[in-house]
Amino acid sequence: MKIQHYLVRLYPHTWRERYEDELLAMLEQRSLSFTDGVNLLFGALDAQLHPHLGTTGMSLYERIIHMFATLRRSLLTIFCAYIGFILAGWAFQKMTEYDDFVEAARTHSVVGLSFNLVVIGAVVALLAVLAGGLPIAVAVIRSALAQKRRGPLLLLAVPVLAFAVFLGTTFLPEALHRPGNHLSPVWQLFLDRGVFFGTLIAAAVASAGSVCFAVARSEISEKLLRFAVLPSILATISMALVLAATIIWGLGLRDGVPQLFAGNDGLVGSSTTGTWLGIVIAMAIATLLAAVSLIRGLSARSALRNAAA
Amino acid sequence: MEDVEAFAGVHLGPGTLYGAIARLEAQGLIEPLEAYERRRPYRLTDTGIAFLQKQLTGLETFASMGLQRLASR
Repeated sequence: MKIQHYLVRLYPHTWRERYEDELLAMLEQRSLSFTDGVNLLFGALDAQLHPHLGTTGMSLYERIIHMFATLRRSLLTIFCAYIGFILAGWAFQKMTEYDDFVEAARTHSVVGLSFNLVVIGAVVALLAVLAGGLPIAVAVIRSALAQKRRGPLLLLAVPVLAFAVFLGTTFLPEALHRPGNHLSPVWQLFLDRGVFFGTLIAAAVASAGSVCFAVARSEISEKLLRFAVLPSILATISMALVLAATIIWGLGLRDGVPQLFAGNDGLVGSSTTGTWLGIVIAMAIATLLAAVSLIRGLSARSALRNAAA
Repeated sequence: MEDVEAFAGVHLGPGTLYGAIARLEAQGLIEPLEAYERRRPYRLTDTGIAFLQKQLTGLETFASMGLQRLASR
C-alpha cells in the first residue's frame, strides 16, 4: 500500500466514506511530494477537529446522531485527559511536599508564586470537572434506575472500589517489613514502589474506563452534554494554566536553588530534573489531548445547534 | 490542483483542497456531480453563484477604487 493510502486513513471514518475514493484517485495521478504529504497530515488534523465535515451525504437524523456521539466522545476524552493530568499533578504534589521544596517556595518568589498558581489551577479544574460531570453521573444513575439496569450502577462503583484497593496496597509494605519476612532488597523495592505505582495507575485506568463505559451506554440528554462543554472549557484552560505554572516553577527552581534542581529529590529518590521533566511532559500530553477534544466537542456542539435550527 | 497552479501560480496541497471542498459543500455553496472513473466533479449551487457574485463584485469595487486612487497620485 502506498504512503498516501496510510495518510488518508488518518482522516475520520465519516470523512473517508465521503471523500476517500476521489481523493485517492487524484493522488494516484502523480507521485506524492513531501510537502503534499505534510499538507495531507494537516488536512487530516483539520478534519479530526471539525467532525461535521464530510457529513453532507447523511440525513438530518443521521447527522444529529453522529454529532451527538462525537460530542459525548469528546467530553469523555477530556475526562480521561483530566485523570491523566491528575496523576501527573499528584506526582508534583508528592515531590514538593519535602521541606527543601517548601523552603524554596517560601524564599524564592517565582517558585512560591508559580506553586500557588498550580494549586489554584488544580482547584478550579477539579470544580469544573465536578460541575460538568456530576449532572451526567446523576443522569446515568437515573437512567439505570428507570430502566432497572444494574450494569451502569456497578460501573460507577468501580472508582470507589479501585480507591479502596489502592488504599489497601499502602498497607502492604508495612506487612512485608515484619521481622519474619526475608526479602532481597530488589524484591523489597519492587513490592514497595512497583506495587504502589502499579496499583495507582491501574486504579486510575479502571476508574476512568468504567465511568466512560457507563456514560457511553446510558441515555444522557443533549442539553446536559451541551452544558458540560462550558465546564470543559474551564477545565482545559485550568490544565493549561497548571502546566504553564509547573514549567515556570521548574525554571524558577533551577535559577533560584540550582543544587536542589540538580539533586536527587524527585519521586522515589530519582533526579529532580528528570521527575519535573516527566511531570511536564505528562501534563502537556494530557492538556493537548483535552484541547483537541474540546475543539472537536465545540465543533460538534455548534453543528448540533445548526441542525436543530 | 494543476488548474489552480496554472492560473494562480500557487501550489494547492491535497489536504487544503479537500478541506475547502468539504467546507464549501457543508455550506451548500457547491454540490457533487456523478463520479466518472473515481473522479468527482463539483459545480456551484445557486447559493454558491450568488455568494461568488457578491464576493467578486466586492473585489471589483475594491480594485477599481484602488486603481483610481493610484491614478490620481
